[in-house]
Amino acid sequence: MFLAVREIRRTKARFAFLVTAVALLTFLILVQQALQNGLITAFVGAIRAQSAPVLVYSVDGQRTLQGSVVEPALAQAIARVPGVAAAAPIAQRTFTASVDGAGPSNAALFAYRDAALGGPGSLTAGRLPRQAGEAVGSAQDFALGDHVRILGQGRSPAITVVGLAADAQIQVTPTLFVRWSDLVAASRAVNPDAGAMLPGAIGVRPVAGVSGAVLAQRIDAALPQADALTRDQAAERTPGVAQVRQSFQLIFLLFALVVPLVTGLFFLIVTFQKSRSLTLLHAIGAEPRRLVSSLLLQVLAIVGGGIALGTLLYAPLSQTTVGSLVLRFDPRSVLVWAALLLALGLLSALTAARRVLRIDPVEATTGGGGR
Amino acid sequence: MRLALRELVRRPGRFVAATAILTLIASLLMLLGGLLDGLTAGSTGAYRAQRGSLIVYSATAQDSLVRSRITPAVRRAVERAAGGIAGGLGSVQLGARIPGRGPRDVVPVVLFGYELAPRGLPGRAPAGRGVIADTSLRSRGVRLGTVIRLGPARTAVTVTGFASDTRFSGQGTLWGSLATWRAVLAANRPAERAGPGVVQALVLAGAAAGPAAIDAATSGNTHTLTVPQAIAALPGLSQQQTVFDQIIWITVAIGVIVIALFFALITVERTPLYGVLKALGASSRTLFEGVLVQAVAVTAVASALAIAASLALAAAIPPGSIPFVATAQRLATSTAYLLVAAVAGCVFSLRRILRIDPASAIGGEQ
Repeated sequence: MFLAVREIRRTKARFAFLVTAVALLTFLILVQQALQNGLITAFVGAIRAQSAPVLVYSVDGQRTLQGSVVEPALAQAIARVPGVAAAAPIAQRTFTASVDGAGPSNAALFAYRDAALGGPGSLTAGRLPRQAGEAVGSAQDFALGDHVRILGQGRSPAITVVGLAADAQIQVTPTLFVRWSDLVAASRAVNPDAGAMLPGAIGVRPVAGVSGAVLAQRIDAALPQADALTRDQAAERTPGVAQVRQSFQLIFLLFALVVPLVTGLFFLIVTFQKSRSLTLLHAIGAEPRRLVSSLLLQVLAIVGGGIALGTLLYAPLSQTTVGSLVLRFDPRSVLVWAALLLALGLLSALTAARRVLRIDPVEATTGGGGR
Repeated sequence: MRLALRELVRRPGRFVAATAILTLIASLLMLLGGLLDGLTAGSTGAYRAQRGSLIVYSATAQDSLVRSRITPAVRRAVERAAGGIAGGLGSVQLGARIPGRGPRDVVPVVLFGYELAPRGLPGRAPAGRGVIADTSLRSRGVRLGTVIRLGPARTAVTVTGFASDTRFSGQGTLWGSLATWRAVLAANRPAERAGPGVVQALVLAGAAAGPAAIDAATSGNTHTLTVPQAIAALPGLSQQQTVFDQIIWITVAIGVIVIALFFALITVERTPLYGVLKALGASSRTLFEGVLVQAVAVTAVASALAIAASLALAAAIPPGSIPFVATAQRLATSTAYLLVAAVAGCVFSLRRILRIDPASAIGGEQ
């Protein structure tokens, strides 16, 4: 230990370089993790934030609210499945809107007939809509009292934000939870030829004693045209979520690969450079185990220091927003990545440790230690 | 340089580890690039196939085809201002039921209604409920004469031909008349029904006026884009490009680090040998050139192996499954990136070589 610490103190610049490299990699990993979480929340937050425990799409809709159309016969059949306590329609469409007279932007209207089956589950401010023309907006995009006008060819309906919900975006678009009539009015405004507004999904509540998962299975078994999912399943299985996760996992894999590569090669080079000293130490009685412990201690200190520094850099950034994505400090991610990177760092030092163990003290008398 | 090449030939085992790691990195780079190209091709085929050069959306659509709506009055204004030929375009994304597949096994497709035929499609759209299918749908069991039932209303369309490279949003496409599109839309998405003469966009071929003049002629009711601009505006495309580019650059950076560390290690190992060579008159430049040649050779071998793997993968993947294409341009670009990374990586060894003292050959450093 004494040797390990002394060496770090003597060659500060070299070890500081590696600490900085590990810190930067840790910082990048944690930022990417926060971006992934923020992106998925912005993609399906409204589905998680809505109040219906079970969502039933039509099979044709392929688990997207905007793509699914539940025809009246199917909606009635869903309501009749044993175990259904209540059922109500939900629909979502994206429009071009103007907020408080500003330039055009996108706005998704998430419409419900029953606030307990498709309305926002909880609010961070304000109240639920009491009448047509009122909405609960996604908290990062709207403020209480905002006036939103849907831009279309017909008479543009105006919507006032009376409540706010956290993490309530859908399709990475500013989202407004509105009453059914507001969605119908908005659709007519952009398309005067529009026919009946059919639900994209049916929000369902199970009777007491039946879980959402069991009810979803019952509905699927009873109705071949229905695709029933619990709230969490509906969020996770929305097309695109798995692809986002896979893309980020590939990035994480690459980062996780770099840390042991850099650390391993660094310590191998260092071991090569000081092989003469190590041979001499071995020749005068230093046990190989002690030399390896010293090496591993350095790996722990360097990787640990890098992780700590990377986390410190990440902490202030995790309190900010990137575009409309809200980043959050996730202690679980930090702990998991810290443990993984430490383990990989130690694993990567094995080659260097092997080299230390193979040192032959006789070489101290022949000058072979330098090779 | 000759010494470096001779070492490569005589002691290839010394470079196996670096070649193996670099082959993995090169394969990853080409796989990522091929996936990006495949995904982009699958998302943009319908637009790339257009014979027209301009696409006109309604002004409030934010350049989204499904949110755009061009009325007959606006169309007339566009035609008057633009000259050339204008063709209406409509689309709807639906689940398709193909004979022989289970009741829950729905294939996502995009049905297009067209007037101005894209490349590879007949000049006149198929009559009745006939449609031309993208060739990627063959892997889903679609054949000539197959009756496909679209959406919850199960609207039947019959395949009368095939066109290649017309995919859209990563899905196979069906191309029919505007009347077919209107009928399918009204039956399956009543809230998005298009009235008589209404289309989602106009494709303009041989237009005499530019986008700004066209939009001015419609009093700002339209937003006209060139086809490349319309492709760039497709939702998610630029984000997809950014994410993949980011991964690709990280991979190249990893390549630089691996090469730098590997050749730094080799240089450390060879320090006494380099000392002797310098004592015999070899310059630092000669020694560095040797390292450079070895790095470039190792990278070239790794790239060649990765190219072979990419071509084999592209040949092995059944059509319509993983969106991977191995284009000559992508393979060449990836190889070039890695060669540059090899040179950049070697630069880290330069300082070490410059610092070698020839006196060390006779123990002068002690």
